[in-house]
Amino acid sequence: MMLRFNVSCPTVPHWPGDNLSIERLGEGKLATSKGIAGRRLISSFLQFSFNPAVPRRRIPRQHQVTAMASASAGDGSSANGLPKSHAPQISKRLENLKPTVFTKFSLLALKYNAVNLGQGFPNFDGPEYIKEAAVGAIRTVGKNQYARGHGIPPLNAAIAERFNKETGLHVDGETEVTVTSGCTEAIAATMIGLINPGDEVILFAPFYDSYEATLAMVDAKIKTVTLRPPDFAVPVEELKAAFSSKTRAILINTPHNPTGKMFSRSELEAIASLCKEHDVLAITDEVYDKLVFKGQHISLASLEGMFERTITLNSLGKTFSLTGWKIGWAIAPTHLTWGIRQAHSYLTFAVATPFQWATVAALQSPDSYYEDLVKEYSERKDVLIQGLKEVGFTVYEPQGTYFVMADHTPFGFKDDTEFCEYLVKEVGVAAIPPSVFYANPADGSHLVRFAFCKDVETIKEGVKRLKAKLRRPVLTSS
Amino acid sequence: MAHFLADRALQLSSSNIIHLSRLAEKYKAINLAEGFPDFPAPIAIKNAAVEAINADFNQYRHVQRLCDEVAAMFERTKGVKINPETQVSICCGQTEALVAAVLAVINERDEVVLLDPSYETYEAAVRLAGAKAKHVSMDPPNWTLDFKKLESAIGSRTKAVIINSPHNPTGKVFSEDELAGIAKLCCKFDCLAVTDEVYEHLVYTEAGHKTLATFPGMKDRTIVTSSISKTFSVTGWRIGWAIAPEAISPAITSIHEKLVDSAPAPFQEAAVTALTVGSKYYLNLRAEYIERRNLICEALEEAGLTVESKPEGSFFVFARLPETYPLKDVDYVADLIKSAGVVIVPGNGFFHADSLCNENYRDRYVRVAFCKNIATLRSAREAIREHWRLHSSS
Repeated sequence: MMLRFNVSCPTVPHWPGDNLSIERLGEGKLATSKGIAGRRLISSFLQFSFNPAVPRRRIPRQHQVTAMASASAGDGSSANGLPKSHAPQISKRLENLKPTVFTKFSLLALKYNAVNLGQGFPNFDGPEYIKEAAVGAIRTVGKNQYARGHGIPPLNAAIAERFNKETGLHVDGETEVTVTSGCTEAIAATMIGLINPGDEVILFAPFYDSYEATLAMVDAKIKTVTLRPPDFAVPVEELKAAFSSKTRAILINTPHNPTGKMFSRSELEAIASLCKEHDVLAITDEVYDKLVFKGQHISLASLEGMFERTITLNSLGKTFSLTGWKIGWAIAPTHLTWGIRQAHSYLTFAVATPFQWATVAALQSPDSYYEDLVKEYSERKDVLIQGLKEVGFTVYEPQGTYFVMADHTPFGFKDDTEFCEYLVKEVGVAAIPPSVFYANPADGSHLVRFAFCKDVETIKEGVKRLKAKLRRPVLTSS
Repeated sequence: MAHFLADRALQLSSSNIIHLSRLAEKYKAINLAEGFPDFPAPIAIKNAAVEAINADFNQYRHVQRLCDEVAAMFERTKGVKINPETQVSICCGQTEALVAAVLAVINERDEVVLLDPSYETYEAAVRLAGAKAKHVSMDPPNWTLDFKKLESAIGSRTKAVIINSPHNPTGKVFSEDELAGIAKLCCKFDCLAVTDEVYEHLVYTEAGHKTLATFPGMKDRTIVTSSISKTFSVTGWRIGWAIAPEAISPAITSIHEKLVDSAPAPFQEAAVTALTVGSKYYLNLRAEYIERRNLICEALEEAGLTVESKPEGSFFVFARLPETYPLKDVDYVADLIKSAGVVIVPGNGFFHADSLCNENYRDRYVRVAFCKNIATLRSAREAIREHWRLHSSS
């Protein structure tokens, strides 16, 4: 492996926002309070459009929009005479951050008493024995204080053991595993620790929104390869073309949110081959690895020559329905782990101790737990998909995760947002318009994402409402 | 394989404090290094956490009530009214709150002023933002702030000043005059202030602790960060917050969401209980810590060290090595681990190369934590006393 990046003398990273003047921000002007005239209050890598104030009460936490109150922070007009309601616009690279869609639809779901099949987290809880383990830890002196930054030793060991069981790879929990505050933080720590400004990182659209956000934070350049229905297969030629001499990493989420796709062995081999050819890192988000209905989950790290350049990310939350505990991890060879740990130690310093102890118990779950999990999710998936098909959606059956994408075109709406608004208001079912997950929103505007991480009754009720109220437009004869 | 590491990761150095804790474990030494208590967290709070887990508050969650309680406590203790819906960001500990705050307001090539001796994570956060940290040294023996020095360090690129009070490692609590002086400079130079007030309830003087946000001109330019960790002895729960002006708070929340999405849900619930405990708890906490402070200061003096300024707050004492000790703080610390079985922190890590301080005291200080139960502190006292007795007689 040749040394491509000469890091002999770390320099202060160059951010493109450097010469940002007020004019470049577009219509909006900076919010200023009296006396902070002309100073940029918000750092250049995070600028955002002000939305009307969204109250934070009772909003399901995931993807909550930042409630922007009035733009004026001061007690009167801004010092440079600008009307106080103007605000900075989001810079181009952050423009695709659309956390608002999750909050918007959650709020609408509450307002219209809709069945919420939009939120991507369970409405049921994890197993009792794991909760008991957490309770036990809380009641044990010492287990409420700082854990070792990169994880309590038994958890690092348990993660290594599980990884070994699944991939055959032997990793050292002490030097190759980092425990983080959820997979979200694992992603942030990986990007901050390993990606430089100006580096190119390849993403597969549709993609989970935090990838783009953290890549924007480290000022990387995103190159997108779009997955399309019906199979969401990797377009290999497009993928090849995405690699350049500036490519630092490629990020793969498998099983994939929102399409439910599982990257196949041949797809992973193609990716692996390109990574090796271009000396590129692979970052894999495998949080849904246990929610597999069809095929087999394969960790890219287990392919030949890939372990030394792969960071495998996972978490407790999805597998054990405890998304609020924020326990995740990154598995990577020692030289990469170092960078991740550095970033992590200054991001959250340490991870919730009692929940780390509980995760040790979780990872010791018998195989039957996972079998039952798949069985239960399969049932929910089948109920939902059957219902969606009967109503008239074109459904793209997921191979994994608890999401399903469907084509809503038969219902005659302009785009996914309009469709989802109608769905929540008139039909009483909340779903997510996935165009927000695409680099080019038009690629996703004919689709809708449903989640089936809900108890069966909820899903049945959702299907019932769809059948009762969702109609295809009557075709008039020409 | 350095070529795969981001430049910014290479700039950060591994935490000395964490490293020493591991050494202490290895030698099974009494750990007076890292700042976590070895006495239990209050039962009521643990019960609240357990109840939250059993009541199924285990998914991603925004607990508005926690923001409400943070705001209520802030008003109660600092006299500043804030809007809990628009000015509070709940984060994974104060560590993350500060990083999120820094990343929300600091641009690359901005400068941020820090006061030495200073806790390592501030500089790290500044570097993560691609900015430059400028250190201004406070002067022993009482760690007084020379305003001429401070003013000369602030320039056109200075975006913020970070103030930690009560202070780690010295235990200093910034006086009203000092805070007023800092406030004046912030206003004069139009910069922000980010404060770390995690030890806000561990204050031993009658004057008490004030927040910079209460000073003239500071309300709209101060970000206050704190947590439940030290106050309630739950450093492992990771619940902290940033209180900021309305124009900044959403940016902090936004960054936080992208870094970690949310703080652990059951502990957010438990934190609500924590923040509503009666005042008796705080009085008791203070009394307990005063007892420990006095014990440890005595112990250190008996061992030939000098406690130039008894800590007014926090649970650290910054003691000066015996004048007769010929070697450096790191040597003293290593010595103490091996022969006395007690681990403390060498002070030099808190002083930075660019701060204008007298070279000759950088390696003459050690930081000792007293957030341990009395029995532990007594054992440590015995061990240190013995070590000194043998050492000074040789």
